[in-house]
Amino acid sequence: MELTAARPRKMWGVTDHPSMNLYVPMVAIIDDIVDETPDTKTFRLRFEDEEYARSFSWEPGQFVEVTVFGAGEAPIGFASNPLEKSFFELTVVDRGKVTRAMHKLSIGDKVGVRGPLGNCWPLDEVRGRDLVIISGGCGLAPLRPAILKVLEDRESYNDLCLLYGARTPADRNFKYDLELWSKRQDMRLLETVDVPDDTWNRNVGVVTTLFEKVELDVSNAVVFTCGPPIMIKFATISLLKMGFAEDRIVMSLERYMKCGVGKCGHCCVNHVYVCTEGPVFTYKDLLALPEASL
Amino acid sequence: MNVGDTLVLKKSDVTMFFASIAHDMRLVAPKRRFGGDVIFDVVESPKEIAWDYGHDVYPPKRFLLPHYEDMFRYQANGDVRIEDLGEAPKQAIVGIRSCDVMAIRFQEKFFASQIVDPYYKARSDNTVLFSLVCNKPPKKECFCICCDSGPYLDAGFDVEMTDLGDEYLYRIGSEKGLKATEPGAFMLEPAKPEAFAQRKRIELQADSLFRTEAYFAKAIMFISTNDVPDKVWEELGSTCFRCAACTNLCPVCTCYTVDDRPEGEGAFVRCRSWDSCQFAGFTREASDHNPRPTFGSRVQRRFYHKASYQYIMRDGTHGCVGCGRCVSACLTKLDVPSVLKRIRRSMPEYLEPRKTPAGEV
Repeated sequence: MELTAARPRKMWGVTDHPSMNLYVPMVAIIDDIVDETPDTKTFRLRFEDEEYARSFSWEPGQFVEVTVFGAGEAPIGFASNPLEKSFFELTVVDRGKVTRAMHKLSIGDKVGVRGPLGNCWPLDEVRGRDLVIISGGCGLAPLRPAILKVLEDRESYNDLCLLYGARTPADRNFKYDLELWSKRQDMRLLETVDVPDDTWNRNVGVVTTLFEKVELDVSNAVVFTCGPPIMIKFATISLLKMGFAEDRIVMSLERYMKCGVGKCGHCCVNHVYVCTEGPVFTYKDLLALPEASL
Repeated sequence: MNVGDTLVLKKSDVTMFFASIAHDMRLVAPKRRFGGDVIFDVVESPKEIAWDYGHDVYPPKRFLLPHYEDMFRYQANGDVRIEDLGEAPKQAIVGIRSCDVMAIRFQEKFFASQIVDPYYKARSDNTVLFSLVCNKPPKKECFCICCDSGPYLDAGFDVEMTDLGDEYLYRIGSEKGLKATEPGAFMLEPAKPEAFAQRKRIELQADSLFRTEAYFAKAIMFISTNDVPDKVWEELGSTCFRCAACTNLCPVCTCYTVDDRPEGEGAFVRCRSWDSCQFAGFTREASDHNPRPTFGSRVQRRFYHKASYQYIMRDGTHGCVGCGRCVSACLTKLDVPSVLKRIRRSMPEYLEPRKTPAGEV
């Protein structure tokens, strides 16, 4: 059966309608901040309204629109374990106006959150298969919930393999998780960096160089990938050469977004709104959309 | 009186009729400004309505989707307080042309599809459209006939008025139109058979007067299948001034951007304002990656949204109502009829075999 991105159980404005106005965010409080890399922080958030917090749930691959009060709104993917109900985490790179302002926030500060938005990784649909996760830089953030969820339900999946690339060893996100995952017997973790330092003893080069070091069962495996557009592009080319079917390569797209509910028009890839119909697509879906430029 | 009824309103009664309607709602109508330009604006008295106006430069879409719309206010210092600001005055847009009625219907469908936009819905729920038939083309650029959105309508209007000389033929098209008519209903009379005959003559005459060369079918096919060579888009894009007049004057275009405006003392208003896909910043991400980096790709985007089979399937119709505003506004002929013509003719020029087999999109 052809694999497609999964429809989420909850979607802001569609199935989830806490207030009448879907543009007005819910207030959340920052409980913890973790420095991931020199320009990346992970924020642990919980909703101020406890009743809303209890009803709030999301699936790996979905995202929220975060309002940094006084700066604006930006789309950020969930990065924590979806089974954790009391809080959720967002990993934010200091890049634009809103994310810069977010980096200046401290524990106890408030932000606005609208979500969950978008669709999700087809985790239920790929049960029993090998899962290959290819990720670069901060692209690990939207995949981390998927990995954590799979690890909680490990026996439902066959082989699990994570290929992760970063610019330098210092730019690796979730170093504490990578440390834990590298020790696990039930998953394989291969890492690479573009620019090594003196202590780096693993692979050097782009993420696609890891393909030579790992055996993948092309007939059974499904690939989830997220990272810089150039990485996704070359990873896809290599995977297709290895014989992966077009619908077995699943990726999360990034686009400039404003509303998150399919109205503002910024995130369109041809006739598809990434915010409501994405951000997760199979390569096969994207072949019909030339603007995805893959 | 019922929906679907056709009545007659004497021109001598028009001012009084709309005065009776104005008790309940504000009137938005064509208003003559200094120098003779006509634009849609709120009128204090129905006497100000320029019934004989030709075409307004500026579409009345701003009364449903304002340039700047305050969405909500919040306090950023200390305790966060969020207040909803949405305001939707009851209004009648009087004298609106058929093309603009269809554009508003398009936007209503778009803003209500899948996820409902509360601001647009509140405004459109409170808006009644009194459309005015174009007996002759208001300007030479009009091509509504190619878009099935004028010069007169068969459906979609709340009330449609046709100028029959001394009187208006007054057709009620919806419950909203019926309800708005009630205060002035005593001024309406049943239409006589001659009035219907005259309306038919006006339809036939109008049909023959509008330009019809902006036919879409072949262009839609080439755009939908991505068979238009990139060099044609780049050639078109190379002349674009990036002024965004095309999208700002387009009565169909809906794209907006969102900003947080400081109001002093820690207060901010989140407001949305019109945006244009013709700007490079429309798709540029924080990482500086731009999925639509070239002028050509942005012109292609505009026409893909206006005239592709994929969007027709989404929206039910193509995203152009043939109002001709882009034709008047664009300095470099990147308007709908000219670009469609260029696309229709791009195939023989390059003589490339079609990439997509027939029947497959």
